[in-house]
Amino acid sequence: MRDKVSSPVFTEEERVGLRRGVQRLREVWILLSIQFAEVREEWHWIVLMASLFPFTTLLFFRFFVPDPSAEMIQRMVTGNMVFALTIMGVNTMAQEIARQREKGHFTFYASLPISRLSFVLAIFARGFLTCLPSVLILGVLGQLVFGLAFTLNPGIVPVVLLSLLACTALGSIIGFVSPSPATASLMGQLLMMFISFLTPVMVTPEMLPAVLRWIGSIFPTTYIAEALRIVLFQGWTPQVTQNALLLTVYVAIGFYVVARRVDWRVEA
Amino acid sequence: MMRNLFEVRELTKIYRKGGVRANDRICMDVRPGEILGILGPNGAGKSTLIKQMTAMIAPTSGTIRYLGRNVTAEPLEVVRRLSYCAQDPYAITSLTTRDALVYTGRLRGMSPSDARARACALIARLQLEEVAHTRVGRLSGGQVKLVGIAAALVGRVEALILDEPTNALDPAKRRLVWDVIVQRNREEGTTVILVTHNVLEAEGVVDRVAVIDYGRLLGLDSVGRLKDMVDERLRIEVTCTFGRRCVAERALKGMGFVEVLGENRLRLYVDRDRAGRVLDQLVANGEEMACEEYKVIPPSLEDAYFLLGGKERIGHAG
Repeated sequence: MRDKVSSPVFTEEERVGLRRGVQRLREVWILLSIQFAEVREEWHWIVLMASLFPFTTLLFFRFFVPDPSAEMIQRMVTGNMVFALTIMGVNTMAQEIARQREKGHFTFYASLPISRLSFVLAIFARGFLTCLPSVLILGVLGQLVFGLAFTLNPGIVPVVLLSLLACTALGSIIGFVSPSPATASLMGQLLMMFISFLTPVMVTPEMLPAVLRWIGSIFPTTYIAEALRIVLFQGWTPQVTQNALLLTVYVAIGFYVVARRVDWRVEA
Repeated sequence: MMRNLFEVRELTKIYRKGGVRANDRICMDVRPGEILGILGPNGAGKSTLIKQMTAMIAPTSGTIRYLGRNVTAEPLEVVRRLSYCAQDPYAITSLTTRDALVYTGRLRGMSPSDARARACALIARLQLEEVAHTRVGRLSGGQVKLVGIAAALVGRVEALILDEPTNALDPAKRRLVWDVIVQRNREEGTTVILVTHNVLEAEGVVDRVAVIDYGRLLGLDSVGRLKDMVDERLRIEVTCTFGRRCVAERALKGMGFVEVLGENRLRLYVDRDRAGRVLDQLVANGEEMACEEYKVIPPSLEDAYFLLGGKERIGHAG
């Protein structure tokens, strides 16, 4: 008769690791569900608010800029997508984080046996969900208003993903470093206007004074605008790779800063 | 001998901002299965103490052990075993009461069916049925507080730490919450640490009391022993015949120390060994002594609290 007791497939250590991995996945899923419920509650306002401003700007250019060049149109469309991103990813996210922080919401999560990493992932996922609709809407409306045709490149997916996460990271950092929700709101709005109109988002860098070009290079939105424009109208190029790498660095820095700043329990 | 649940030794917390010494060399033990009340005026350092016990903040010096584990070194292991309800409003506001509790249970490692069953039982016990399917964000402040308490109770944990659990609740709900807490303690043997400045309410619930003020532990003992500390003398409150307080005061002075409480009210402090004789005299000669009514006042936890140091701060606050 065959011996039924065979050596285990996994060692005890591996089994513990697996269990922990499954547990992490489960908690990320539950936290995501909670964050999704928060977004779901007000998604129509999110879409309306995030689309209205950039769409108005888009129409303004359509009506008042006579005979724009193809490149200008491309910049207007992608620039307004970035405008939508700064509204939702930076401004709204900063306000929301500051509000939750003031109300002590993070203390509740820190008191649960969940990891800080899972929680920060959920915060970023919330930002992603908040930004996505307006970016998509602006893309579609931009095509309709200016009769553009985007190249359907699979590279669009990682660029959009990184763009959304980089803006979320910036918004989250503002939310965590602001002493109050009012300050976060003020900082978010200032940045939103500055980034959209005084950095190379809707215009070429050459059109701006050197100091604004230099300041613009600090913000991820400069690289987002360029990466989106190229990938949507030309496909994946080395410049997109460069921008994507820079955005990855922004996301990583943002993730690190948020993880450090979130009100969490002590760690061994 | 049963091992202590918490062992706090020389615990000191100095906040970097402002250099406030919130806890100063606190030493205390929490026994398994007990309900320990931590009393003290606002700003006494109670919340700081429990935030360290729940690994929410790190001590400046000293140690906290939970069943032998160093809380600062193994925070996740400790957090897994206890439930902490902070003063802040409940965080999950976009879900219905029921779903929020189920999700909290799931985040505490419960199976979906267990979390659902537990959430439903708590909703019934805390009389939240009417708002079970209403989003938490739409509830009143008191209802949100109840949901927060239910969230702390939803997990199967060894210890519950509740910071001012009855704030923002009406008297009926406050009583309900105390009942639920005591029930959990009796039925599941859950150790409960209650932080409150509501001394009168806590008296009927707690087994032992720690009194804290200015970051220091002023006393830690059973309610009965703390009361005994208050006064070795019996207190008798006397209502005098209107306009004849001086007569009563003169008569009572021969029996003990007399304190004037009001126009026709006196308090008499009598040594316990003489109490019987004094009461006999009051019964026999009450009319003559201008004493219309009298009642024996047992020492309360509030008296103990005041004696240990709460009085001055409460006086300022009040």
